[in-house]
Amino acid sequence: MRTPILAQIVRYAFIILACIVVIYPLLWMITMAFKPFPEWTTGSGMTWLPKQPTLQNFEFVILGHARGLAVGLDRSILWPLTASLITSICGTALAVVTGTLSSYAVARFGIMSSLPLSVLQLRLFPPLAVMIPVMVMWAFIGAIDTWWGLSLIYGIVTLPFAFWLMKTFFDEVPVEIEDAARVSGCSYWRVFYLVTLPIVMPGLATCALFVFILNWSDYLLALLLTSKDWITLPVYMSTLTSPIGGQMYGMKAALGLIAAIPPVIFGLLIQKHLVRGLTFGALKQ
Amino acid sequence: MTSVQINNVTKRFGDFTAVRDLTLDIPQGQFIALLGPSGCGKTTTMNMIAGLENPSEGSISFNGSDLSGMRLQDRNIGFVFQNYAIFTHLTVYKNLSYGLEVRRLARSEIDRKVRAMAGRMGISHRLGEAASRLSVNEMQKLAIGRSAIVEPRVFLLDEPLSNLDASFRAYMRAELKVLQREFGQTMIYVTHDQIEAMSLADKIAIIDQGRLMQYGAPLDVYNDPHSRFVANFVGSPRINLLDGRLEGESGRLKLLLDGGAEIALSAGAAAEFSRVGFAQAVTLGIRPQHIYLGDRRSPEDIGMRGRVEEIERVGPTRLAYLQVGQTRFLSVDSHDRLSTGEEITFYLRADKSLAFDLATGDRLGGRLH
Amino acid sequence: MTEMTAEPVLDKTRQRRRGYWSSVSLDGRKLGFWLAAPAVMMLIFIVIFPLAMQFYLSLTWWTPLDGVRWYRAYESFNIGDNYLRLLTDGALWAALGRTFLLMIVAIPAQFMLGLGLAYLFMEQFVGRKLFYSIILTPMMIVPAVVGLIFFLLFQSTGPVNDTFGLPVSFSWLTDVHRAMLSVIIADTWQWTPLMFLILLAGMLGVPRDQLTAGRLLGASNWQNFRKIILPRIKSVIAIALVLRTVECFKIFDVVFVMTKGGPGVETETISLFLYKKTFADLDWSYVAAIGLTILFSLSLIAACGMAYASMKKN
Repeated sequence: MRTPILAQIVRYAFIILACIVVIYPLLWMITMAFKPFPEWTTGSGMTWLPKQPTLQNFEFVILGHARGLAVGLDRSILWPLTASLITSICGTALAVVTGTLSSYAVARFGIMSSLPLSVLQLRLFPPLAVMIPVMVMWAFIGAIDTWWGLSLIYGIVTLPFAFWLMKTFFDEVPVEIEDAARVSGCSYWRVFYLVTLPIVMPGLATCALFVFILNWSDYLLALLLTSKDWITLPVYMSTLTSPIGGQMYGMKAALGLIAAIPPVIFGLLIQKHLVRGLTFGALKQ
Repeated sequence: MTSVQINNVTKRFGDFTAVRDLTLDIPQGQFIALLGPSGCGKTTTMNMIAGLENPSEGSISFNGSDLSGMRLQDRNIGFVFQNYAIFTHLTVYKNLSYGLEVRRLARSEIDRKVRAMAGRMGISHRLGEAASRLSVNEMQKLAIGRSAIVEPRVFLLDEPLSNLDASFRAYMRAELKVLQREFGQTMIYVTHDQIEAMSLADKIAIIDQGRLMQYGAPLDVYNDPHSRFVANFVGSPRINLLDGRLEGESGRLKLLLDGGAEIALSAGAAAEFSRVGFAQAVTLGIRPQHIYLGDRRSPEDIGMRGRVEEIERVGPTRLAYLQVGQTRFLSVDSHDRLSTGEEITFYLRADKSLAFDLATGDRLGGRLH
Repeated sequence: MTEMTAEPVLDKTRQRRRGYWSSVSLDGRKLGFWLAAPAVMMLIFIVIFPLAMQFYLSLTWWTPLDGVRWYRAYESFNIGDNYLRLLTDGALWAALGRTFLLMIVAIPAQFMLGLGLAYLFMEQFVGRKLFYSIILTPMMIVPAVVGLIFFLLFQSTGPVNDTFGLPVSFSWLTDVHRAMLSVIIADTWQWTPLMFLILLAGMLGVPRDQLTAGRLLGASNWQNFRKIILPRIKSVIAIALVLRTVECFKIFDVVFVMTKGGPGVETETISLFLYKKTFADLDWSYVAAIGLTILFSLSLIAACGMAYASMKKN
């Protein structure tokens, strides 16, 4: 039986309301990114759409200077952008590779059955509770403000996610397929490399995207472990101030917009598997 | 006590017509089986009675009043799913009480009814347990009890016994019959198993490709099938269906079967055929139970001479494949000594023989003797 | 009679060629060990040393201001004083209290909103996929950017005040009473979609036949929801709540970017408190003690939770 019309209208009403609540804040930042300096505060009567839309903010962050602005930046967005990219990609690679290999080991060979749980426990603690030793360690090995130092901590911190996500995918591959390959003479490694891996390739891609989103979105680790050369986009965005420009809302909005886009796109791509990743495999969609 | 009327119901899913112009009158308090092969539309028909689907054309009524537009919740129908659809995360008690709680009965009343039904179905000892821990057989009973407890007007069962093991199935068949008599409700039972239908139903509706083929009491359907399809579908082992031609002039007719066997028709039979208007191409239908060996039992019975091709023992019964030329007859017989390759005389019971138009499958009025 | 043949010599070379690594790929246990080794090493690296160092430091008075390297912290041993200090530190407990306040308000709100939304999305309707994608978006925004977004929104010259046409211009972020509310709103905006996602996934996992059976027994959609779906997704609800609770406790990015813990300490959650202690006060041994205590407490709670969960299973 179809739902009665009234119920359908009510449903749409609530959903549209929810969408408005979702879009409202995003829209504000997006429009702010296109507003020139005078429109940043209510002084001139605040409006939603910029009265004089401009690419000034983007110009400023990308080039380091813009027309009509007396201030400049010592570097453009290219630095933090590259930093974010490189550290996210390397951290993702590290987490996904080690996570995949170890989760296969646990899924198929029953190695360290306590590993999964201890891996999970890592996620419980506020990072700040353990950051001091990490900072000391990183300083000791000279990893502060380096690409590999940040990538390393990213890889370690997102390892649990990669591990659990890949484990769910491995659990879905029927053991019979691998047994058949073994019976025809393949070694364990060849079975993994030639049979299992191709099957979980889509899952692997999902895992990589998922971990990338996590790394790209990081703020605290970059804040603590970088100082100048390798600060990432989110940190750069939040610390952008200038003595003359003040809070630089427009620039920050532009940066925020740029920073927000990759995770949203990737998130939409892996939408189907979000539940899996976020609940550590407890739930599937 | 509710009677159900299905009036010229047609159901289409896009291009596919699942049910064609079906009309069925189900009297109150009776046990009706909807019988047919998979995909014939019997489940769709049942879904329409329940309200899970709406007819594309036609209507369904209870006691004469049209059901169109009535919500699922208001129809007060008992429905037993093929996979039981037990509320797995609730206890057995909660499963039974669900329908009553929804009707906001008093706690004490609910308790009384639940315990009574649990006792009736033999699952009282499981009341406190999670329904998912039941055995398949117990789940079956729970599914029936859960639907019955709200005293529905009509009871619909969708192949409820197909998941059970064979011995329990026989037991449940008997139980269902008793339950139906006890509750007194109209029961509509969907199945593809003709043995179930034959043993349980007061009337059977045989459906093929969305069309009603025949509707009658089990014995009528068995002895007097209106079409080749019905004759073939009902009866175990399957009826012998042998194609052939009527030859000769009126007065001297014989039936020439594919494979060479010939049956000379008596004058009376010939007269029957010419009175009814016979088709040249005919299918002879004779059930294995009506082919016998040994001595002729009735002067009308048709004798044939043939070889025993194969003997198959199925438990206590013996199936014998008898061949005349290339024509094969399957016989169920308990004649003592029989060996493969033997040449024997066997008899076809004329009074149980059926004839069908080869082209249309319709039953022809004529008898062979 | 022993015959000298070429066999033994060949055998030896064959044996030499069969090194350790080819045997690894043939033996399941060995392969498994080596596959898991990198991950295990990384985990040990990040767990053992930090824990040991934290423990060591927590028993001293050392701070970087002392001028000595950390491994000489033993020079200022104090066994347990830091731990006593944390028991009576008003600022610490206030920060914890604020964190719990945030959790107690935000998480039920997110849960109820997420549940309501999931209920709306249970059946198929036109545009369902599109709306679904839209509603999931906040979850995927970089948390620091969420902080920025709400920082911009809640400016006293910002749109929120405009939109709601309030005569008085509220200062959301600098008003003592409203700052925490702003943080709660930001957190709810970002994470309600997560609740929605998880709860919907659980709800859609309920077999349709059971819901149909319920309707045939006379239940309305609402009764079905309460009596069949909710009991069935109890474990899903638990997962969602636990996940969110843990993350909410750790909250940092959003608050830091929005208010930096201000005004004053109004929005100073436990993470911000630790940040301040680490970088402003440089009180590292104290932070070590706090860190270990939190670790210990959380592990205890987690262990109890899991014991309870496995008890319920049996």
